[in-house]
Amino acid sequence: MKFAFMCRESRGGGRGKVAVVGGGPAGLAAAGYLVCYGYEVDVYEKLPYAGGLMTFAIPPYRIPRENIIEGVEDLEKNFSVKFNYRTKVFCGDKVRHDEGDEFVQNVLDLTKLVNEYDAVLITTGIWSSRKLGVPGEEAQGVLTALEYTYGWWIYDSGLSTHKPPVGKRVVVVGGGFSAVDAAEVSHMKGSKEVILAYRRTIKEAPAGEYEIRRLIAEGIKWMDLVQPTKIVVENGRVSGVEFVKMRLGAPDESGRPRPEPIPGSEFVLEADLVLVAAGEIPTPPLEGECGGIKVDRGRRVVVNSRMQTNVEKVFAAGDVVTGPSMVGKAIGSGLKAATNIDMYLRSKKLV
Amino acid sequence: MESISRMYGGMNRVINYEACIGCFTCEEVCKFLHNGEAYITLYEVGGGLNKPISCFHCAKAPCVTACPTGAMHRGSDGAVTVDISRCIGCGACVAACPFGIPTIVPPGYASKCDLCEPLRKEGLNPGCVAMCPTKAIVWGDYTTIAKELRVRALKKLIYTSAP
Repeated sequence: MKFAFMCRESRGGGRGKVAVVGGGPAGLAAAGYLVCYGYEVDVYEKLPYAGGLMTFAIPPYRIPRENIIEGVEDLEKNFSVKFNYRTKVFCGDKVRHDEGDEFVQNVLDLTKLVNEYDAVLITTGIWSSRKLGVPGEEAQGVLTALEYTYGWWIYDSGLSTHKPPVGKRVVVVGGGFSAVDAAEVSHMKGSKEVILAYRRTIKEAPAGEYEIRRLIAEGIKWMDLVQPTKIVVENGRVSGVEFVKMRLGAPDESGRPRPEPIPGSEFVLEADLVLVAAGEIPTPPLEGECGGIKVDRGRRVVVNSRMQTNVEKVFAAGDVVTGPSMVGKAIGSGLKAATNIDMYLRSKKLV
Repeated sequence: MESISRMYGGMNRVINYEACIGCFTCEEVCKFLHNGEAYITLYEVGGGLNKPISCFHCAKAPCVTACPTGAMHRGSDGAVTVDISRCIGCGACVAACPFGIPTIVPPGYASKCDLCEPLRKEGLNPGCVAMCPTKAIVWGDYTTIAKELRVRALKKLIYTSAP
């Protein structure tokens, strides 16, 4: 991936200094645009390498890691982008713990960056998994899909010595891409039996029927119209999942049929590993509000049509603005923010 | 070999659908580079599977043959592009293209991918090629493409047969 796809070489950093908080696809695409337009860019990244979910969660058989590394190295070597790894940026001193925070060595205050730079771009993504909200979820052997795929990648790449578990029977709860990836990784890593359990049917699954049929062909089991009601725990460890059977009702606000529990249809599925993929939520570098930068009820950073927050020199892009989306959409959003940062800094010079 | 390539136009783009993960990067980058209009677009082909399609810059391009005014032509650099000053918006290219690629846009001329001519003039790759996270989009003269695809196929054969 050549993030600086619009120019051959650096045009120097004389136009201004921009901080990019979060080095995922949105941040890297924005950095690539900004260096081509003559800005000096510093990236702040909590993990030990850039790429965000592309590098640390999406399985390498989907996106080969060397393609990302190539682009990051190009930014670093040919365009003097400074990558500050293991650095978490947050507003104030009550720093929220998110997933993927294990490598953090430095914490920087967001307000400090806002004061020091000509503009700041927030692209911190969605490093927090939604819980099921059922009893027993804190038991040993219950992990989020993100924790699991991330755990395998940092183990396989030698960044961590902690080996994630394989199971005799693994139950993956969810029907999106996180669920599909967690199920496939678990299967590839040697789990004996992997069951993908979803509350609607294959037709409504966000990952799509094709992807799920592909997993079924690989030997993963598919169970639809079931919703977990409780994690069965023995001596602090998971021993099973209690499900209730569902039926499809009238369409809900998303337009998909609403799954409704069938009373009395509860049953228990034995499992020694449960992977929860109930969606991810944005992890902005602030809680509630930070000097005018606001987040909405879904914790998404509030921006205007120019991707600008209430603080005029602070912009935001990618999943932290939209919620879970796709690599390309994050890249598009990052590019849009970068153009607007350029326009903002140019207009400021004219005044 | 090179002269034969040039005779037939010399440039081509292939999308490796097996490598493509349907992430929309090509479409988003293209849209960004062309003021909101994407010349490579993804469509759902069933089962929630999204894949991109765009101009192949065919060696014997039917759109070029069908164009009555010579607006649709092969540029000296090998890409099939539209000279909008000569285009009458008749839609002959739209009908001729087996992939449905050219479209007629207001105020009435054909519009399609030019393989990012401004970027290529600076020695850069087209946007979709440069940014694809899986390198599923391969571009170049026919010999380069053939070599690239063969090397990839070979790697797959070697790695998947390794013990």
